[in-house]
Amino acid sequence: MSDPKSLLVIDGNEVDVRPGETILHAARRIGIDIPTLCHDDRLDPAAACRLCLVEVEGARLMQPACATRTSSNMVVRTAGGRVERNRRFILSLHLADTIQERAVCEDNGPSRLHEMAELHGTAGVWPAIESERAARPDDDNPYVAFRPDRCIACSLCTRYCDQVEAVSAITMAARGARTTVSTADRLALTDTTCELCGGCIDVCPTGAMSERPALVYGKPEAELEKVRSTCNFCGVGCQVDLNVDRAANHVVKVTSPPPGTTVNDGNLCVKGRFANDFIHHEDRLTTPLIRAEDGSLQPASWEEALARTVEGLARVKSEHGADALAFISSSRCTVEENYLIQKMARAAYGTHNVHQCAAT
Amino acid sequence: MTTYGAGAMTNSIPEIRDADFLLVIGSNTSEAHPIIAMEMKRAVRRGAKLAVADPRAIWMTEIADWHLQIQPGSDVWLLNAMAHVILEEGLEDREFIERNTEGFESVAETVRRYSPEEAETVTGVPAATIREVARAYATTPKAGIYYTLGITEHTTGTDNVYALSNLVLMTGHLGQRSAGLNPLRGQNNVQGANDAGATPVFYPGYQSALDPGVRRKFAEAWGVPQSDSPGLNLNQMMKAMDDGSIRGLYLMGEDIVISEPNVAHVEEAMNHLDFVVVQDIFFNESCRFADVVLPAACFAEKDGVFTNSDRRVQRVRKAVDAPGEARADWEILVEVMRRAGLEQPDYPSPAEVYDEMAALAPKFSGISYQRIEAEGGLQWPVPTADSPSTEYLHKGGVLRGKGLFQAVEYRAPAECADPEYPLVLSTGRTLYHYNAGTQTRRSAGPQLKQPEAFVEVHPRTARRLGLDDGALVDVVTRRGRVRCRAMYSRQVAKRVLWMPFHFPEARTNYLTNDAGDAVTGTGEYKVCAARLEPVAEQGPAEQRFRGAFAAAGAD
Repeated sequence: MSDPKSLLVIDGNEVDVRPGETILHAARRIGIDIPTLCHDDRLDPAAACRLCLVEVEGARLMQPACATRTSSNMVVRTAGGRVERNRRFILSLHLADTIQERAVCEDNGPSRLHEMAELHGTAGVWPAIESERAARPDDDNPYVAFRPDRCIACSLCTRYCDQVEAVSAITMAARGARTTVSTADRLALTDTTCELCGGCIDVCPTGAMSERPALVYGKPEAELEKVRSTCNFCGVGCQVDLNVDRAANHVVKVTSPPPGTTVNDGNLCVKGRFANDFIHHEDRLTTPLIRAEDGSLQPASWEEALARTVEGLARVKSEHGADALAFISSSRCTVEENYLIQKMARAAYGTHNVHQCAAT
Repeated sequence: MTTYGAGAMTNSIPEIRDADFLLVIGSNTSEAHPIIAMEMKRAVRRGAKLAVADPRAIWMTEIADWHLQIQPGSDVWLLNAMAHVILEEGLEDREFIERNTEGFESVAETVRRYSPEEAETVTGVPAATIREVARAYATTPKAGIYYTLGITEHTTGTDNVYALSNLVLMTGHLGQRSAGLNPLRGQNNVQGANDAGATPVFYPGYQSALDPGVRRKFAEAWGVPQSDSPGLNLNQMMKAMDDGSIRGLYLMGEDIVISEPNVAHVEEAMNHLDFVVVQDIFFNESCRFADVVLPAACFAEKDGVFTNSDRRVQRVRKAVDAPGEARADWEILVEVMRRAGLEQPDYPSPAEVYDEMAALAPKFSGISYQRIEAEGGLQWPVPTADSPSTEYLHKGGVLRGKGLFQAVEYRAPAECADPEYPLVLSTGRTLYHYNAGTQTRRSAGPQLKQPEAFVEVHPRTARRLGLDDGALVDVVTRRGRVRCRAMYSRQVAKRVLWMPFHFPEARTNYLTNDAGDAVTGTGEYKVCAARLEPVAEQGPAEQRFRGAFAAAGAD
C-alpha cells in the first residue's frame, strides 16, 4: 500500500504515488487525459510516438508519460506552451509520414492520428516524408492488407502480435525511413505463425493495417452502422460490433469494442472477426421444405410446413405417447429460444425429453 | 454442481490475468478459447506459473512451466496423485476443510493409494513433475484450474470433475478472485441453454425436474400438468431412437448426424424415426432424414441473449434481416406451440420471453434487458433487481453450504488399445474451424489454413507403417473407417492419434465411442482404440478424396 504522505503534483493537483504507476495512469485517475498514439494498456510502454511527452520539474528533457513512473514530490505539467508545442510538432511529423488527407486515409477504418490532429491542432502541413517503406509482395492472405503509405512505424501492431496474441508473426524490419512491418523471410502471413486474429488491424492508428474484405467492399467504416452483439462461436462471450451497411442489408465486417470496456478487452480471434461469410452465404436456407410423396424435399409455405410439423408431432404422441418425442436444442441458439423449446417439450407435448447439444 | 452447488465457472475471465498459478487440463485453450488464452498469456508474462496437462504438446505448453503429457483417459490417476502429494506433505488448508467442506476423510483415504510413482506408470507423467505441480498448486493462494472437454468427454467425465474439485476443496482455492474451478464452455451459449432448462433434469435456473414441488410450480405457471416420467439425456435419446422408443424428433440448430459419437449408429437410428423436424440456418446432414425443414435466422438476424462461460448474460442484437423467408427460432417455436394448442402470450420481442423465464427462476430474477442495456453484461446469480452482478462464486462460503468431497477411483476408458487396435484416438477442435464446419468451412481464411481433414500421427509411428507425411490413410476403429491426410506431428505421443471433427467429408464421429458417462451421458469422444491402414494406391485415392471434399459443400 502507498505511503499516505507520498504525493506528486500533476497540473497543480496532488496525487498519491502508487508503486510502479506511470504518469499517464496517475493523470487518468484524476481525470487528466494525456494524448497518446502508440500506447495501449494491454502492452508494455514503448515511448515511440513521443506524443505523450510532459514536463517534469528538474528534468531537462520532457518525459514520456506512458513510460515514466511516478515518484514522491514529482511535479508534472501535462499542458502549457512547451508540451502543447511538442504535441503539434509530433502530429505534423507523423502526418507527413502518412496520407495527410483524412478522408483518403480513412477509406477503410478510422485514423486515430487524424482524430488527434483535429483535437490538438498541428504545426501546419509539412512536406511528405520520402519514406521507402515497403510491403511484402505476394502476401495473398485473405484478411490483413498492409498499406505502407499509411504506416508511421509506431509498432503497435508488432507489439500486439508479440505481447497479446504472443505469436510474434510480424516484426519491425529495416531502418530509418525504410522501417516497415514485415515477417521473418518476408513470408506471406499465412505461412507464418500468424493466427489471423486481426488484432494488428484494430490497434493500427492510421489504417495501414486494414481489413481486406472490407477494402474490397469499398465503404469506409464511418458510413457503416455498428450493432453491438455477442460472438456466436465459443463460450468466451466476446462483445463484437457488427458493422452494417444498412441500405444493402449487409454485415461488412466485425470489429471489437475498445479495450477495457468488455470481457474480451478489445481482442477477437480469427473466427469472431473473420469467419462471418456464412451470414450472407448463398447456401442459407430461405424457404421451408417438406418431404414430398416421391421422397424428395420440396419448397413449401410456412403455413404448410408448420401444419405438417404440428400434425407429425401430434401423430407420434397419440400413437406412442409423449415420451416417444425428443427435442434437441442448440447451445448456439439464444437463452430465450432454449427456454421456449423446453417449454414446448414440457408444456405443449408433455415430456422431459429435451436436451441441448453440448453437455459441457 | 453436486460438489459446490453451482455448475459454472467460479471465477470471471478478467480475473485470469491476476492469477499466480494456472492448471490448464483437457483444454487446448489457445485454439478453442483464444481470448481466454490471451488472458493466460498475460498472466504468464506477469510471472504466473503455468502447468498444462494434455496428451498433446499443444501451443500452451510452449509457455508452460510444466507439460504433463498424460495418457488419454488417465486424468483421475494424475489428479488423485496430486491430492496424495498435497496430503502427504501437509499442504492442505485444514481450516477451510473444517469450516466449508464435508467428506474429506474418504478422499484422504482413497488418494493414499495413489502414489505419484505408480501414477507415473499409468499416466506417463514423471512422479517428480506430479510432486512439483501439486506443491506449486497447493502453496499458491491465487491458483485457478481451467478445464474443458478433455475432462468431461470421457466415460469417467464426472469422476474427472470430482477429482479436480477435491483438489480445490482441500487447498481452499475457492471463493476468492483468480482462484477456483473453471469449466470453459465450448459454445457461445452452452451455459445459457443449461440455465434455460434445455436439459431433462432441470427446469430453468437449475430447479430439479424430479422435485414434485418444482413441477407444480411450472404446471401452474404454464397452465399444463407436468409429466412425472423422467426425461432422457442426449446419449440416452440416441439409444432410444435405435430401440424404437423414440419415434419423433425435433432438432433445433444441431446436426446430430455429424456431431454425435458413433454416427453410423445415429444415422441408422434416424432411419427408424416416424417424424423428424430440422430447424437450421443451413441444409445440414441431418436434413437428409427430415420430414420438414424450417429455415432459421442466424445470430446477426435476431435479438436475444447468450450466457457465456463466466455466467455473463449479454445481448445479441439484430443487425440485418434474415434471408428469404427464414425466421428467428423463437418466433418459430412460439408459433408451433400455439398450433399445438398451447396458448402463448403475444411476445413483442425476446425481452418478454426472458422476463417470463426470469420470473420463474430466482437465479436470474434480477436480470432484464433494461438492466443489461444500462450496465452491460450481468453475471448470475442476480436474484433481485437491486442485486449486483456476481463476479466470482462462493465468496464467504460454498453455495450449497458445505463443499462436498467425492472420493473417486480410477477406471480405465471404455475402450483401451489392444493388439488389433494398438493406438489411442483422441479428437477435438482447431483454431480455424468450428464444430460441424457449417460456418467456418464457408470462410476463406479457415479454408486456406486448414482445407482438409487430417490425423496427427507421431513421425515414428507413421514411419513404422511406411506412411509418408501428407499421405492419405484410413483411420479405423471398431465403429468405422475414415480416410484423411496423415500429418506428422510431434504434438502427439507415439501411441496416440488426434483428429479434429470439423470435416463432413471425413467424419471423425464415425470412429468415436458412444459409451457415455454414467451421470451426464456425455460420449467418450476423447479416447477410443484405433489403428492406421496406409492406402496403397495414393493416386486414385487422392482424386476421390478431393472429390469428396468438393462434394461436401466446401467452396
